[in-house]
Amino acid sequence: MPIESPFHPQTAKRCKSLRWKDWSGYYAVCAYDTYAEREYFALRHSAGLMDVTPLYKYDVCGADAEDFLTHVMARDIRKLADGQVSYCCWCDEAGKLLDDGTVWRFSKDRFRVTAAEPCLAWFFENAHGFEVSLSDVTDRIATASLQGPTSRDILKQACGGKIEGLRFFRMTPVSIDGFEAIVTRTGYTGDLGFEIWVDNEHAPRLWDVLSEAGKPYGLLPTGLDALDVARVEAGFIMNGVDYYSANHCLIESRKSTPYESGLGWTVHLDREPFIGQSALRAEKYRGPDRRFVGLEIDWDEFEALFAKHRLPPEVCSAAWRDPKPIYNLKGQHVGHATSGAWSPTLKKNLALATVQASHAKIGAELRFEVTVEYVRHTVKAVVVKKPFFDPERKRA
Amino acid sequence: MDGANHEFDAIVVGAGHNGLAAAAMLARSGRKVLVCERRDIVGGLAAREEFHPGFRVPGFHHDSTCVRPRVIEALRLESFGLKRTNPPSIFAPHLSGPGLLLHHDAGAAADEIAAHSDTDAQRYADYRAFIERIAPAVLRLLDEAPPDVLGLNIDFSRLLSTGWSLRKLGRRDMMELLRIAPMCVADWLDEWFACDLLKCTLAGSAIFGTFTGPWSPGNNALLLRHEVLSGGAVFGGPANLIDALRQSAEHFGATIRTGADVSRVRVTDGRVDGVTLSDGEEIDASCVAASCDPKRLFLGLLGRQAVTTKLRLHIESYRMSGTTAKVHLAIKGRLRFACRPDLNVEHARIADSLDDMERAFDAIKYERFSDRPVLDVYVPTVSDPNLAPDGHSVVSIMAHYAPYTLDGGWNDAQRSRLTENVLSILEQYAPGLRDCVVASETLVPPDIEKRYGVAEGQWHHGEHGLDQLIVRPAPECTEYATPIAGLFLCGSGAHPGGGLTCGPGALAADRIIRGA
Amino acid sequence: MSTSNRYDVIVIGGGHNGLICAAYLAKAGRKVLVLERRHVLGGAAVTEELYPGFKFSVCSYVVSLFRPHIIRDLELAKHGFDLIPLECSHLPLPDGDSLCRWADAHETRREIARFSARDAEIYPEFGLAMSKLSHFVKAMIDSPAPDPASLNPRELANLLRLGGQLKELGPDLMHLQMRLLTMSAVDFLDLWFESDILKAPMSVSGIIGTFLGVRSPGTAYVLLHHYMGEIDGAFRSWGFSRGGTGQVSMACARAAQSYGAEIRTECSVDRVLLKNASACGVVLENGDEIFAQTVVSGVDPQRTFFGFVGEENLDPEFAAQIRRYKLRGSSAKVNYAVDKLPMFGRTENDLHLRGDIAIAPSIAYLEKAYDQAKYGDFSDRPYLNIVIPSLVDPTVAPPGKHIVSCFVQYAPYKIKEGPEHWPKRSDALGDTVTDTIEEYCPGFRDSILFRQVLTPWDLEQEFGLTEGNIFHGELSQEQLLFQRPAAGWARYRTPISNLWMCGSGTHPGGGIMGAPGELAAKTMLGGGGV
Repeated sequence: MPIESPFHPQTAKRCKSLRWKDWSGYYAVCAYDTYAEREYFALRHSAGLMDVTPLYKYDVCGADAEDFLTHVMARDIRKLADGQVSYCCWCDEAGKLLDDGTVWRFSKDRFRVTAAEPCLAWFFENAHGFEVSLSDVTDRIATASLQGPTSRDILKQACGGKIEGLRFFRMTPVSIDGFEAIVTRTGYTGDLGFEIWVDNEHAPRLWDVLSEAGKPYGLLPTGLDALDVARVEAGFIMNGVDYYSANHCLIESRKSTPYESGLGWTVHLDREPFIGQSALRAEKYRGPDRRFVGLEIDWDEFEALFAKHRLPPEVCSAAWRDPKPIYNLKGQHVGHATSGAWSPTLKKNLALATVQASHAKIGAELRFEVTVEYVRHTVKAVVVKKPFFDPERKRA
Repeated sequence: MDGANHEFDAIVVGAGHNGLAAAAMLARSGRKVLVCERRDIVGGLAAREEFHPGFRVPGFHHDSTCVRPRVIEALRLESFGLKRTNPPSIFAPHLSGPGLLLHHDAGAAADEIAAHSDTDAQRYADYRAFIERIAPAVLRLLDEAPPDVLGLNIDFSRLLSTGWSLRKLGRRDMMELLRIAPMCVADWLDEWFACDLLKCTLAGSAIFGTFTGPWSPGNNALLLRHEVLSGGAVFGGPANLIDALRQSAEHFGATIRTGADVSRVRVTDGRVDGVTLSDGEEIDASCVAASCDPKRLFLGLLGRQAVTTKLRLHIESYRMSGTTAKVHLAIKGRLRFACRPDLNVEHARIADSLDDMERAFDAIKYERFSDRPVLDVYVPTVSDPNLAPDGHSVVSIMAHYAPYTLDGGWNDAQRSRLTENVLSILEQYAPGLRDCVVASETLVPPDIEKRYGVAEGQWHHGEHGLDQLIVRPAPECTEYATPIAGLFLCGSGAHPGGGLTCGPGALAADRIIRGA
Repeated sequence: MSTSNRYDVIVIGGGHNGLICAAYLAKAGRKVLVLERRHVLGGAAVTEELYPGFKFSVCSYVVSLFRPHIIRDLELAKHGFDLIPLECSHLPLPDGDSLCRWADAHETRREIARFSARDAEIYPEFGLAMSKLSHFVKAMIDSPAPDPASLNPRELANLLRLGGQLKELGPDLMHLQMRLLTMSAVDFLDLWFESDILKAPMSVSGIIGTFLGVRSPGTAYVLLHHYMGEIDGAFRSWGFSRGGTGQVSMACARAAQSYGAEIRTECSVDRVLLKNASACGVVLENGDEIFAQTVVSGVDPQRTFFGFVGEENLDPEFAAQIRRYKLRGSSAKVNYAVDKLPMFGRTENDLHLRGDIAIAPSIAYLEKAYDQAKYGDFSDRPYLNIVIPSLVDPTVAPPGKHIVSCFVQYAPYKIKEGPEHWPKRSDALGDTVTDTIEEYCPGFRDSILFRQVLTPWDLEQEFGLTEGNIFHGELSQEQLLFQRPAAGWARYRTPISNLWMCGSGTHPGGGIMGAPGELAAKTMLGGGGV
């Protein structure tokens, strides 16, 4: 059975839909309402408040903390300044993705890593010879994610002006209602947003303070359904959905590399040895076999297909995660879409897909499988630039 | 070997029997070889050492019967003073009875056994005949580089020829070999014999230096291994093998430096480029052959960047836990067993039954040493009286079992307790011995680690478990080459494993000479 | 001679393997007779009402790895085969704490993390590696043993196929497979885990029914059996048979009867009838002779050849092979009827009792238990594997009352005094088990309504298991595959023509798998045996 997060008393009171799911062993709200629509629009037009406590959190401390992370992460951690947060991925020796997450630098000897999956054991395995202490703080620290255009105003109300100048992917300690918290300007919505990290005991109070401060700014508690639509619009890859950690794959073909997954920009090859370096270097030289792309599914063709059956186009209100095959124009199988959503903001039908590198160029035309009245068809889908939705306020 | 302009083509780390054998083989092939030995004397676990003024033991090892004939021949060891004699007859003393002298000559042995059991005497002849029959097939596995069981690049012709050598045994012997190899030595010996002394004497070869007792499955393979490897002994003991190896190596042009403690094997861009000594001296070479144990090499001498996590984990999980204590006695007169006082015993094994041996083993599972250890006794002064002053003898004893990690920790009080355990057993079988003891030295596994540099005092350089004999020491380096270009293993931590065979040294040299 | 006294096949022993073999043969149209010595069918897989209202799975208490295709082939569900999966694996500790491993991965992770955060994360990775390897093992147990000595092209092709399957694993998994086959359970688990509290209960699966300790090399292999993910998942392949283990046998019996097989109980075979060194029927203890073209023995090899055939009728070399075949029973069974549920360290609910409960608090505990057995004593603190089937199957005990069924290891058949002295030690063994449980569940002793102790001697005398070995022979490496029960005779055939074997003493061995019975029948049908 899942367990309750420290925010549970707050979220349970508001979750009228009784729709929950298991996220890393915690109860997590899918949607507070029957439909996630209101919550989605709050994220894009005002602000949403989410319980993201189930993210795994590890503290990495010690004289060699920086060297250690430089050794395990594909990104060069030595480039981080104090107070900076960096999006990273990490790989096995064969250069296959294990997980992605963030690395925060407090100081040269103190870091925090967030991850989608447990990776403490893997860190331990690779910590040999480094003077570093690793601890799992997942169940000690509660995390609230405050995302949306009015999130900065709300947070200012809650913790004062200190966060006014907080830049994208930076962090700062703050005091909220008399307790200490850390604010990072990060999120999974591709929008202006913050994540607030507190000791478990302060979680209920944090929720209340933020809810109170958010009232005049249209803040709504938000569930994972709304978040999922937002993350597809942002073009973010998801471990366990769009790729699988190499540690969990029964077969080689299920594994992915950062270059195949659109995370090549986070790999810094030319430096001291790190795990997977030689394999990644070889792959970079060779070019990846597959690429992770954004697809825009042609609406006219989609609508016409349904119209032929005298049906209105059926798009589901939430994001989908059941993989669908992708074909080239000759009808050959060239990849698979792993998640997608109808974007209420862009009015576009979007998908995230892994396709053969030869079909990954922007503008490439592919076929996306659609089932209408129990019969399979394909419709046109075009490779487009990610993110699909990229508001200026995200970085401003 | 590349043509880099170094003084030496290859550096061998460690001047034990395998290091010297590898060095001599390489020098013989025309390479300029340097051997770096940490200690001030060469020989490693076969070094001759003075443990009390005037008293010397010819090596930590007792058994010198397994030296590969091919090495003796190729390195012309006999012309460098190596003398081979009949393998020692092993005496198993008994408190109530004449004991059993397991004579090296099968016929004479059968006569001795007949005093205990006629059936066993008859069976012993069959036993020896069986060993003779399977020897060629087993020796093939031991005298060649290991088969590539993990199939990275299966050589089908070799696989077939190995398979064929097994098939040549005939269906019956082949099936029998497959059946008995994974068994425990007690079960197999029980199938043959009834006489406890006989079974104990034979079982010793399977369990000494391992973390197993007679009832542990898999160690029957070790009995078979020893039975087929064993031949003539080195006259005067293991140290005389070292003398010959050293002369041979130097004859072929190798340089041997003692007091040269390699503290680092240097690696640049995945290639070896030399070694650094603990005094800071750097010696360059594009080939390094390490005869030290795999843990010392991969976890100690190589930097953390040079060893991948996977290899490191394999080496960390390589089981290497010492189980033997060594007691050296300097005595007046000679060792005289009460049951056969006239016999001038060179080699004895003391254990009354397989169950007693198993009880002795039980102790180390709980980090204790045996109250009644199994003793392997070697009296080197029988064949080389020069090892002790006139009228005196040296008694070298391996006491099984003693753990590397002792519950409560090793200290002098525990060492004395262990020595006392050994002496009180010997006193039972050889009354009066205690009064003859002039001096003694006791080495427990941590002492062995410190003196000889073998991790955890495991003198086979790694547990002889079936898994660690098939893939030794790790899948990345089963055929002497390691993932680091130019770095090779040439010690007992590589195929075919521990013992004074010189096999790993010679086969590693073959591998280096053959090139990538 | 009346025609009703002539059969195509006589199966000796109505255990589950004998019945499955009979069912397959009958289904193929053969006229089959099954002869069972006891009054109940099932052999070691029986249910008996020893105390009013309590139906005990007297010997075998969980169904492991029963081959799903046998359920399909023989339509066993229709005949009453109904498996209730074990829900968890519970380890109570002497200090009152406990470790419970559940089907829910996150819950298990949190449980293990209380002892080691590292181990908690490695646990699923271990499971993944094991399931990758289990394909190979599955191929092994679902086909007759390969014959490495044969030069027959078909056999060679078969060997190559298995070799190919191994090679497909890739070098890392092949290395792991090699280690799994040769290492001790503890050494193998040491490669992965640091916590004794996790390793101890995992390691015991390697020693159940063997005369080996968790540190004995070769015991790692059986760990794999727990990860033989059938379609319903790893946890699901182990379960209780509804109505007791005897229901498995009953279902097999009904299936056999539905195909026309005849089954007689209380019909004790005295010997196999030989004519020109060829089996042609059996002689019963009452002197009756029954004739058949073929005789199949579902009992263990020593009883089959020394009991029913007679050494004088065997080739001396084969007789020697069978004599050295090791049975060496090492376990006992103690069954309780109780009026109060023993809670084993957790009182909030009884969910943790719905699987198996292991008394195996540390590796040293298990190893000490083994050490005592080596020298001819039963362990004064044994390893116990406890199930309370009445919790998930209310049909086996009156409401509110429970059956506590304990598998006890080590209780060596050959105790110091000699096996025939077991009856005198029986109560002492029962008390030892009661005392052991009492340490974890104070008050247990007072809740006992009835106790049954089955020592290895009882298992031999009552159930015909030679030396009380529950698997018809030690599952050690030299007695598996092409060497079970003897080299060259691993294909169910025997040196006596028309005499076959189909019990757990043949490949792939013991446990309620059904595979020996099925494979024997198929081999006979395919090889002109019947």
